[in-house]
This record gives sequence, structure tokens and C-alpha cells, in this order.
Amino acid sequence: MRYDVAVIGGGPAGLAAAIRASEQGASVLLIEREAKLGGILKQCIHDGFGVVRFGEKLSGPEYADRFVKKLRQTNVQVSLLSFVTRTEKCDDGYKLTYVCKEGLKQVECGGIVLATGCRERTRNGIGIHGDRCAGVYTAGAAQNLVNILGVMPGKKVVVLGSGDIGLIMARRLTLEGAKVVGVYEAKPVASGLTRNIHQCLNDFDIPLHLSSTVTRVFGTTRLEKVEISKVDERMRPIVGTEQIVECDCLVLAVGLIPENELARDLQVPLDPKTKGAIVDQNCQTLAEGIFACGNALHVNDLVDYVSESGETAGSAVVRRGKRKLRPVSTEGKLLYVVPQRIDVNGGIDKVVMYFRASEELTNQRLVVTAGDETVFSKVYAKLLPPEMERIVVNFDTAHTLDDFTVRLEDK
Amino acid sequence: MDFDKTIKQVRKRYGVDVSVREDERSVFLSGECDKWSDVVAIGKMFVTEGKHVVNDIALKGYVAPAERLPALSDNALDGTDWDVVVIGGGISGCAVARELTKYKLRILLVEKHSDVARGASGANNGMVHAGIDLKHRCLKLKYGVAGNALYGDVCKELGVDFRRSGQYVIFDSRLIRFFAKGTVKRAVKHGIPGVRILGKKEIAQVEPRVKDFAVGALYAPSTGYVSPYQLTIAYAENAVQNGAKICLNTAVTGMDVEKGKVARICTNRGTFTARCVVNCAGVFADKIAEMAGDRYFSIHPRRGTDLMLDPKAEGVPSQTISMGPTLKSLSKFGSGSTKGGGVIRTADGNYLLGPDAVEIPDREDTSTDRQSFDSVFAKHSGVCPTLRRSDVIAYFSGVRAPTYEEDFIIERSAKVANLVHVAGIQSPGITAAPAFSKDVAEIVKDYLLSAGTQVAANERFDPVRPRPVKAKSLSDADRDELIKSDPDFGKIVCRCEEVSLGEIKRALRNPLGVTTVDGVKRRVRAGMGRCQGGFCMPLIVDIIANETGVQAEDVTKDDIGSNVAVCKIKEVGQ
Repeated sequence: MRYDVAVIGGGPAGLAAAIRASEQGASVLLIEREAKLGGILKQCIHDGFGVVRFGEKLSGPEYADRFVKKLRQTNVQVSLLSFVTRTEKCDDGYKLTYVCKEGLKQVECGGIVLATGCRERTRNGIGIHGDRCAGVYTAGAAQNLVNILGVMPGKKVVVLGSGDIGLIMARRLTLEGAKVVGVYEAKPVASGLTRNIHQCLNDFDIPLHLSSTVTRVFGTTRLEKVEISKVDERMRPIVGTEQIVECDCLVLAVGLIPENELARDLQVPLDPKTKGAIVDQNCQTLAEGIFACGNALHVNDLVDYVSESGETAGSAVVRRGKRKLRPVSTEGKLLYVVPQRIDVNGGIDKVVMYFRASEELTNQRLVVTAGDETVFSKVYAKLLPPEMERIVVNFDTAHTLDDFTVRLEDK
Repeated sequence: MDFDKTIKQVRKRYGVDVSVREDERSVFLSGECDKWSDVVAIGKMFVTEGKHVVNDIALKGYVAPAERLPALSDNALDGTDWDVVVIGGGISGCAVARELTKYKLRILLVEKHSDVARGASGANNGMVHAGIDLKHRCLKLKYGVAGNALYGDVCKELGVDFRRSGQYVIFDSRLIRFFAKGTVKRAVKHGIPGVRILGKKEIAQVEPRVKDFAVGALYAPSTGYVSPYQLTIAYAENAVQNGAKICLNTAVTGMDVEKGKVARICTNRGTFTARCVVNCAGVFADKIAEMAGDRYFSIHPRRGTDLMLDPKAEGVPSQTISMGPTLKSLSKFGSGSTKGGGVIRTADGNYLLGPDAVEIPDREDTSTDRQSFDSVFAKHSGVCPTLRRSDVIAYFSGVRAPTYEEDFIIERSAKVANLVHVAGIQSPGITAAPAFSKDVAEIVKDYLLSAGTQVAANERFDPVRPRPVKAKSLSDADRDELIKSDPDFGKIVCRCEEVSLGEIKRALRNPLGVTTVDGVKRRVRAGMGRCQGGFCMPLIVDIIANETGVQAEDVTKDDIGSNVAVCKIKEVGQ
């Protein structure tokens, strides 16, 4: 079998990419590991999805459903319960090997869209020591237990991490009758969206403890207590500030990492800052014909942007041509900028760029230059690392299409 | 023996007065210390040729935590009678039980945890040692070298992966390289095959990461790698296949000794009788000996921490390499109580860094801490300067069970006629088990014969444990065929380690009846990858619930009481 495009991953990014590629007339195979489309959205039963795209507050399954319905109207071939085990370059594109309940299958395709999402950082990833008891879960695992399996991971819960996932789990477990003792955050500021601080913590009287982290867990069979320590400005625990908090469950919402095993197999160069592939403005990686989008590319705050990058990849994978890539360099306190390259072949029009500041900043100006010319400039009263910023840069006026720089400077 | 000099030395060095008592087998120490490391150091000072040390020196203010016992009490074993009871389901107990099934005997193995290999056998780096660093004339050497030679065959019979890919001990000075010639000579004398010294060029070719500082290396080709818990499980399963009974969640709480024999064994699951008892209780081996009134050695728990590296990290070497003694460390050479360690490429293709060796008073304290993490990284990353701390993806600790003499005890009790001790089994215990388990089986057989029990060969003994299916390692054609015969093998549950539903279902039908999340993990590696079960743990809970007919909230991570969830939603207040 041969398809024009194979999309790997049926979450929001993959759904958007497959729909868009199909709408452009390509034959598309969408490969999804699970029994249902929607990815992690399936277990996100809280609302707040789709505000940017639909102007509505949808639940995760509702948001996914809109795309699934649209997908049904296309000719996209969907292969569920299918897992890609190998990807290889072949004469005219790529060969994918995957397993599904019918057996081991191989297909060839012209282009690949990697929409494999991200995974959660674990207790080992952040250096929590102590016993290996039950009751210590990543937020996603805890969410699955509650929302899919219908069981409680604990009755007295400590949440580590004030990102949106941690806040939402604090509320979710409270709604199910658990006592959330507190949300702890190693950074001096909360990571989640302000609306979530209000809706998930303040409305439920859940205390938020900043500059604090869990340093040790105790328990022979199940978790019995955790040790909380204050941290210094470099987020290292301060000896002597340890405090014991009794709980039977620790929920870890301590960061997401783009899942890029297939990209590694294909030797697609990754950006150490985003931990996703290095891409141009069309989400094409440095390997011709391989695209990356959604959280596999970089971790997004809002699903709306995940869908957007899926669509970008989906349309570009169909009409791709020869590229002339120019790097985008960064200056100032920027955590990362996506895309890291710009394809200047045949000129460029509007480019969507995403960036995050590397620290909390006020009164900043973001400047995008091409050669000596400033092509974009925007002032930000406040920038926070947890909040991803999106800009649309118009290169119409640029005389030179080279030496691209994104710079963050004091206003 | 006159210990006055040693007592004086102890007083001078540690400011402690110890009382010493002796009998024909042991030196008994008592007193009190402020530091646990002093307790152990003093114990070692009294090690004497031909005698064991029983160290009762107390740590001031320390109250030992109660032994962790299974939260279970029933009469499942009450009133039963056995030819042989093996206490402990580590590598020693499981291998001994399996060797004993070559005879027509009623064998019971009891293990207090919910699975076998839960102690040191499940928390070490799985190195099958060549034996290059072992002392002359000790049981460790005898069984270590013999065990190593048996490994290929044993793993083939038991269907366990084993890779004999050797180890390299790196030297950073010519003087040390010169001294290593002595090690080579000793290896030849001890019958360790193929040990030789590699020059600067040779080692740089094998492992380019050390070329800047290595002037040579000692190469031991017979060093191999096995998954220690999978081998232990395989031994246990083969024992059950051949008629032994393994009773999990069963802890020995006492023994009645009558007329110089163990008459009855008391457990949380009833009291029963046995013609012969084998003590393979690991860190509790001295406690079991004490229960039988045969206290003549002490186990001092020694914890080791290993760090698991991301196999895809750029700084990771391709071979098992460790740093040999350096001129700087030479002054303390021989003081180390671990068999070197280093960067170890495991049987599963992962990399481990470690271990360290920390004396601790609590036998069951397998927690990790920052100090151990830091010291392991500092100690072992020297051999591979490209390693970064962020390359570490997981870490774990295990507690070794050494005696003060630092050798194995494999013998019939001198006091209790029907008791056999397999104690002090620490590194290279995994290596040695295939060899000493055969001897232990003979000791038991000889005793039973002498006591008038008939011991016939078990004609139906089958040495082969079927190798578990690993869909990921099959060829495309074989994997396709497997999935066509059972579609569950085409459904991937653990994405990181690529483990299918079919493999998990088979693991849940294991002969030991282990149906825990960690039991699945140890058998098929589901949850051992980079996401550490973040994605698949809830799925596995669901699969266990469906396969075994229990509620999801009743599924445990490991031991009884370690339920993954506490109740159903909407039932929190109940």
C-alpha cells in the first residue's frame, strides 16, 4: 500500500493534520495507537478547550469530537490500535512498519507527519527520593484513574506543580471528595493560567505554596507522608526547611516532554531547548518529507495552537517542494522560538512563530529582523515562561530574506 | 583467642568499650556505639580465621523498625507436612528449590513478599562476574567461577536472556597497568578464562570515550549480564513446573526446635512441619538462624544504589567499563566492599551506573537518597566523563546481606540437624547461585537419606522453562504470524518498551500467581521505559482487574496493601 501522507498520532495535532492533508487532495493514512481517536483529550473532561478557535469553552472530548466528525467526512484511512514499530527511508519517501490486531503491516508514504504528543516528567526526572510505595502518580496517570477507570488515587492529596494540569487535577480530586492538602510549586510564581488559579484553587480553598518542592516520599506499601522543602532562587532545596506533610497520594504535574522516539529513529535533528524537532515555518523537519506538529514539536499551553500547527503540517506535507532553509537566531531572554528555520525558497509571506521567555519579565519588546530590517515588533507588559506567545510575522516588506533574528529586549 | 589488643584498639579508635565472648564457632560482641558505621567497623576488626562474628553492639538511641510482615493471616498451610521447606524467594531460595525438584520430594518455598526476587536479587545490576577480584580460598571464588561457567546453559534451559560481553577495567597510569599483571596471573590460577591486558590503542578502539586518559585496560571476557529478577522468576517457575509449591505473602514468624531439630515452622499462614529446612532468608538469614536457636553469624545490611541511564543519551559508552584503581586511590585499595561496578550495560540493553555501598541499620530500607545518588554519580562517572546527571532516568536501591567475614555460608547447621544455611549471599551471589544451588540440593539429599527419608530421582523433571514470548524481538514474519494467531499481540499497551496486551496477559497467567502491577513490570518490562508507567500503569490496572476478576481498586502495585487506588470515585466518604 502507498499513501501520499501518513500521520502518526490521532490526538488533536494528528486529527488536524490528517483532515487538512486530505482536504488538499492527498491520500492519507492516520495511525493511532489507542482504540479511539482524540489522544489525551479523551480523559480531559474539564472545560476550557477551544476558546481561541471556536470561541467556546468545550470539554476535551467535545473538542476532539468536532475534529473526529470532520475527519469522517474526508477520505482519511484511519487505523486504530496500531503502533508504528519502525520507520525507514525508501526510494520515494518512507516505509512504515506497524502492528495492529490484523498483524504486522507495512505501508509506503510520500511524507510523514509526526503528531505523537508528549509525555510527563516522572518522579525520577525531578530527583524525588525515598520509598517506592504506591500512591505517587503523574497527573496524567491520576487523571486516567479518576476519569477513565473511575477509581480514586488517594483521599488526602498533595499536588506538586502549579501548571494547568496540576491545578485541574487539584480541582478534579476535590470534586470527587478527596482532600487536597496543597499545591506546591518550586518556582516563585504559579505556572498555570490565571483563570485556573482562580477556578481550580481559590474557589475551592486549596492553598498554593510557592518556592517549595517535595524532596522525599515515605511509605511501606502506600504513601504515608511527603517531605516538603523550601527552595532557593535556583530551585535547589534548602537544608533545614524540611517539613512533613501527611498524605496518601502525590500527584506530579512537573512538566511535559515532547515524545520523539520516531524522530530519533529517523535521525531527525532535535532542538535541545524544545526537545522537539527543528522545523521550518511549515513544520517540516530538517529531514525532507518529515513534519512534526502539536506537542511533539513543542509543548503548547492551548490545544487550539496544537490544532493550528497540525493544520500547518497537514497542508504543507501535501504541497512541498525544494527548500532553501535559513536559520532563525535568538537574542535576549528567550527560552525558545519555533520555527528554528525559515524556508525562503519562492519568497515568504506570513509566518506564525511561537516563543517563550526564559524568565518572568516586564516591559519587553520582541523584535524580528531580516538582515538589518525590522519586520516585526511588539511590546509586552509582562512575559512569563509558562505562557507561550504566538505572533504572526509578515515578511512582505523585507528586502533580504536572510539573517533572521528574534530578539527580546527591554522596552 | 586473645582479643585484648583489639579491644584496646577499639577503645582508642572509637572510644567504645566492647565485651567479647567466644565459643567454638563464633566471637560475640556487645556494647554501644554512637554511629552505625562504627558498629560495623568494630565488627570487622574481630574477624578471625575460622570463626564468625556475631555483632550485638547496639546503636545508641536506635530502635529497629519492626520487620515488615504481610498483611495477611490465614490457615492455608496449617498442619501440612513437607520434605523440604525453603525460606526465602530470592535467587538462592528459588535456585535451591528448583535443583531440589530433580528429586521426588514435597518441597515448599515460602516468601514473605507478594513476588519472588523482591530483595537484593531484584535490585542489583545483573552482572555475572568473571571473578577477577575475588580472594583465594573463599566460597565466593569457588562458586563464583563455577557459576559463571554454568550461565550459558542455565539461561538457555530457563529461557532467560544472557549476554556474555565481557568487562573492561580502565587504567589511567602505567604503574597500575604493570600491577595488573598480578591480577592476570591470579585469574589464570583461579581458572578464569581469557583475562588479559589491553594496550592504550586497543582500549581506545573498543571504547573511544576513554581514549584521553586510558593507558590500558584489564579485559575479562567471561563477564556476562542477566536480568537478575527474571532469572529468579524463571528458577521459581521451573520449580513450580516440576512440582514444588511456592507460597507468597508467607513470613516465618517462629520455629519450634525439639531434640536438636526444627520440629515446626510457624508463619502467618499456619504452622507446618518439615524434614529439612533451608535458610535462604537474605538479610534475615541470621534472624532465621536465631529462631532455630542457631545464632552464629550476623548479617550487616549494606545498601547499594544504582542509577539507570537513558540508553539514547549521547554520553553513554557502548561497553561495560569501570575505573581500575588509580594511583590516588591505591592507598585505599581493597577497602571497598563492592565488586567495582562502573557503567554497566545490562541484559536488557540499558545502562546502569553504580553501585555504592552504605552500611545501614535497617534491613529493609531500600529507599534512595540524594547522598547516594551524588556519590554514585561522582564515583562512577569518572570513567566516562561525557556522562551528565540529566542522563539518569531512574534509580533504585537494594540491600546486600553480607556477614562480617564477607563470605558465603553454605553448610548444614552444626547445632540443628535438619537445618541448612545459605547465608551471607551477596555479590557475586547472582553469579554463584547456579553452582551453589546444586551443592545445597546435594547437602539436603544426603541429610534426608541419612535421616531415613527415601530420595528418588524425579523422572518427570523438565529443566526447560518455556521462554516467554517477546513480540518486539521477533522477526517481522514471526511477529505477523503471532498476531494472526492471537490479535492481543498486536495491541501495544506499554509504548516505551513496546509490550503487547498478549504478553501482559500471559505474564498474568504465571505459575506463581502473581497479579500485581510491578509483577507484570518485572516479567515483561511494561512500565520500565522512559515514561515510567505514566501512560500504561492505568491500562495495566484495568487489564489485571479484567483478567483476574477483581475490582480496579483492589489491584496492588506490589505487596498486600499497596493498592494503586484507594476506592471507587463517589465512595470517598464511605
